[in-house]
Amino acid sequence: MQSGWQRYLLAFVITATIFSIAFFIAARIDQNRVADVRAMQDAIAIDLLSTETQFELLGNLDCELLGEHPVLSEELTSLAERLSYTENNLGSDNEQVTQLKKQYSLLQIKDYLLMQEISRKCGEKPVFVLYFYSNEGDCDDCTRAGEVLTYLRQEYPGLRVYSFDYHLDLGALQTLIALRKVTGSLPAFIINNRAPIYGFKNVEEMQELIPELATLATSTSAVEEEE
Amino acid sequence: MDIGVLGVYICLFLGLYFEVFLLISFLEHKAPQKTALRPRYYPTVTILVPCWNKEKTLAATVRSLLALTYPKKKLSIVIIDDGSTDGTLATAQQFKNYPQIKIFSKKNEGSKYSALNFGLAHTESELVGCLDADSFVEKDALIEMVKAFEIDPTTMAVTPAMLVHRPRNVLELMQAVEYTIGVFFKKAFDYLGAIWVIPGPFSIYRREVFVRVGDFRRAHHTEDMEMAFRMHEHKLKIVNAHTALVHTTVPRSIGALIRQRTRWSQGFLGNSLDYSHLFFNPRFGNLGLFALPAGLFVFIAGIYGGLYLLYTLLSSLVRTALDLYTTQVPVGLSLSLPSLDWFFLPLNTLTFLSLSVIAITLVVIYYGKRMGGGVKLGTVALVSYFMMFSLLGPVWLMRAVWDTALARDTGWLT
Repeated sequence: MQSGWQRYLLAFVITATIFSIAFFIAARIDQNRVADVRAMQDAIAIDLLSTETQFELLGNLDCELLGEHPVLSEELTSLAERLSYTENNLGSDNEQVTQLKKQYSLLQIKDYLLMQEISRKCGEKPVFVLYFYSNEGDCDDCTRAGEVLTYLRQEYPGLRVYSFDYHLDLGALQTLIALRKVTGSLPAFIINNRAPIYGFKNVEEMQELIPELATLATSTSAVEEEE
Repeated sequence: MDIGVLGVYICLFLGLYFEVFLLISFLEHKAPQKTALRPRYYPTVTILVPCWNKEKTLAATVRSLLALTYPKKKLSIVIIDDGSTDGTLATAQQFKNYPQIKIFSKKNEGSKYSALNFGLAHTESELVGCLDADSFVEKDALIEMVKAFEIDPTTMAVTPAMLVHRPRNVLELMQAVEYTIGVFFKKAFDYLGAIWVIPGPFSIYRREVFVRVGDFRRAHHTEDMEMAFRMHEHKLKIVNAHTALVHTTVPRSIGALIRQRTRWSQGFLGNSLDYSHLFFNPRFGNLGLFALPAGLFVFIAGIYGGLYLLYTLLSSLVRTALDLYTTQVPVGLSLSLPSLDWFFLPLNTLTFLSLSVIAITLVVIYYGKRMGGGVKLGTVALVSYFMMFSLLGPVWLMRAVWDTALARDTGWLT
């Protein structure tokens, strides 16, 4: 039988152990999530490299062949969702999250450049938005701006949205920011290579700013066509 | 980690700690099974049955007392109609021809303690018990309690194992689980020498108790709690006879439940203030160092958890509404079903800690069930307990604080 203080101590040790196990399991699951995101990024990187190589091999782009293997919009969207969830869990300043975001940003830039090239060669008219946000507390409207773009992307599956953390310490991203002359006033949008637009825009305002959306099929019309 | 979540972690840690502590205390002993042994000596016993507007249940209560396996000459029953406005007195009069039953009627003085003291003044037995007029004892309950007195002559009061009488609706089933947990807690507190309520449904005292510490007091309408505090103050021993089973009726509606629990919670607050010197006082052993602080913690954690949940839900709702208004994203499209992908499941520390609390609570329920004679608790009862209790609890806790702050008297409602 335990004496008084031993019982108090034993209860503390058991409780602390349960807490430690809970933290440990949660940390392992977070690590699995990070590994999942990393694996996804690797897969996308390989796909991108494959498309680029294909492009170089063929010399002149075979638009029909590429049509059978569309560029990685859906994969990037899914990756973005997972990355965002991981960032919420582990925090923006987590080193692993920062690394994942850097890799994700690079993949987006590569996809963006590749898409530009494909569009030029194949005569397509893509509609894309480069979206610059910050989660360092200097952009109150960024969350809502993200929601508007998420909705537009759902509504117009052909719309390509590339989102970048403005403050991410990544050379390629900072070069893109400098080239596109994006100042620090966030949120900022570049629509189809036009001049940057600053400040929060709701769905209606965004639709007015992207008249090209009219050329894209909506998710509803796409479903109707399938039927 | 924001401060709100930190508070939740602290509550979970302390909640787990208290559960683990009680489990250790419980498992150190082996709660003995019921035996066919009879007491060597049958002391005279009087059971007081104070009643106010209990015409529906009084007869069954008295019949359960008459059915007790105890020498008739040694057992007296005193029914005290406490100024009922229904047919309680008439119901009591049905039993006027039983020689062991005395029936009294008195003016209601707004709290149960006066009825108990009135009954006490009409008793001379060695043991005095009370039984609420909506509770029913099992045949051997008194013998089991008398045996507890016999085992240790220094025992001054014995509490029973309380179960819910025929739970039917979801609210009663929820309370059935809660009472089963209570069976475990009572025994664990007994092993710690820290029982701090001597409940109305069938607790028995040695007459000496009232000589040494005085009669019942108003005590914020929780005279059973105050008496326990006072007995501890006088170092009088209270034990639990887990083999003595009593079934009690419980509120069937949310309103009645909240009123009852508000009274109990307000009683705890009031008595805690009156007996604040017991808290964290090593002179009172596990009562001062563990049981009472744990009760206070449950109070604070319940309110904190309730407010935090409310704040989280409301702020999320307001934020979503504002976002929908400013973004003009159609409502239907902005709401999406939760993903079943493992990646997005809320498998985080808080989830695992909550599951740990639930797991330990299930162990507690298991032991409570075993001691409570294998009371049946189905899935509905368990789910309703885990889903509803944590939502309803903060309501009566907050109301109790509010009423105490305003010095509002909720009265003897149930």
